[in-house]
Amino acid sequence: MDTIKVEICTGTTCYVMGAGDILELNDHIDEHMAQNIEIVGSNCMDLCKDGQYGKAPFVKVNNTLVSEATVLKVVEEIHRQMT
Amino acid sequence: MLTDNSFIEVDYHRHSKNGQSVAGDVFVSHRVSGTDRTICVLADGLGSGIKANVLATLTATMAMKYVSSDIDLFRASEIIMKTLPICKVRNIGYSTFSIFDIKHDGMVDVVEFDNPPFVLIRDHKKIEVDKQSFKVTPGNLGPRDVWHSRFRVKRGDRAIILSDGITQSGIGTPTMPLGWTDDAAAVYTIDLCKRRQDISARSLARQITARALQNDGYRARDDMTCAVIYVRKPRRTMIITGPPIDKKKDCELANLIETFDGRRIICGGTTANIVARELDKTLNVDLSMMAGDIPPISRMSGVDLVTEGILTLTRCVDILENSPNPDVLDPNAAVQIVRILLDSDIIEFVVGTKINDAHQDPNLPVELDIRKNLLKKFVGLLNRKYLKQASMTYI
Repeated sequence: MDTIKVEICTGTTCYVMGAGDILELNDHIDEHMAQNIEIVGSNCMDLCKDGQYGKAPFVKVNNTLVSEATVLKVVEEIHRQMT
Repeated sequence: MLTDNSFIEVDYHRHSKNGQSVAGDVFVSHRVSGTDRTICVLADGLGSGIKANVLATLTATMAMKYVSSDIDLFRASEIIMKTLPICKVRNIGYSTFSIFDIKHDGMVDVVEFDNPPFVLIRDHKKIEVDKQSFKVTPGNLGPRDVWHSRFRVKRGDRAIILSDGITQSGIGTPTMPLGWTDDAAAVYTIDLCKRRQDISARSLARQITARALQNDGYRARDDMTCAVIYVRKPRRTMIITGPPIDKKKDCELANLIETFDGRRIICGGTTANIVARELDKTLNVDLSMMAGDIPPISRMSGVDLVTEGILTLTRCVDILENSPNPDVLDPNAAVQIVRILLDSDIIEFVVGTKINDAHQDPNLPVELDIRKNLLKKFVGLLNRKYLKQASMTYI
């Protein structure tokens, strides 16, 4: 299976809306999942400006955008892509 | 600013006598607005603790006022000594002082009273400065010698001002029966400057104080203060933050940072994206240095530091305002900016004025300050409290 890329926006809006917690994703997942994902930061995805992509914080799991992301929502999306 | 484009860096470090929460040494420095002068005063009040602090603060503040308003220095010295409250125990009112009045063409006037003599270091040597003494008769102390000297500084010169807590550190110990002494402290300082040629005033003051503290077995017998005045080539830093109001200026902004001669900092995700796009560079967020509640830094070649914008800048202002020692803080993005700024002399902010709509959402859990207002405060702090030469332009 290919590694799943989890890209977390760390721009101001995303950060204050909870991206800081999602950066600690590795603390919340099991070893199997941890081995199959790669966590990278983005300094700003430019998605928060006009609301058409939903609300911050934004996380991309491969090419799927998760808006109003939480650790739970991100884990669910990773899980969906792994199975 | 000296005429040959040198910069005068002033900084100091202080350590209170063991067990005292307040120091009896006071150092103040001030760049007189509207004139090209920097004035610094080190005063050491009689005794230690609060009483000494009051005496020293009075002395330093009065000296600063008198010198700023060009009152005759001899007369000023006398007034200061006569004004100080009399100590009940010792029946004298007393505080030492060293006053440095530095004109930015390089001319320096120094008035010293009972502090260890200042040391002028040029080309790794101690320079002897001619001093004239004059008698001042304050209150019940009898006539006292006050020393005046006038000289011209050059680029590379350092002047070191020490309180007696430093020169007398280690006194009575087998290796230093008479304490560290003025001469040994000067030798140590010169040696340190030889090994670290570009050592900043801030680091040098810190090192000398640390050494004195070591002499005293880490229990300071007296308040210790070391102030350093360093005349040097200015270190420049540019911070760009915020996207330009007009998209057509994106290219101009990117060019400004690319061609800047000095250290470069970008604060803001969008701003960093603009620069990366215009200069065709890649941006990588560095997740290895996650520290506290400040977003992580990113890497871009040719730029010293890339951070998030308003949260990080707000924290910088907080650190500068409440001045905890940034050397001991977790090195998050804000602390890294502060460290670079404290080691810079000339700081240019280039501020994009475009409003970030996403920040106007009342549902955001924190108040995001308006960039322009925050940066005005930032620049003011750097200039007033840290004697930097900071300026701001809008784009």
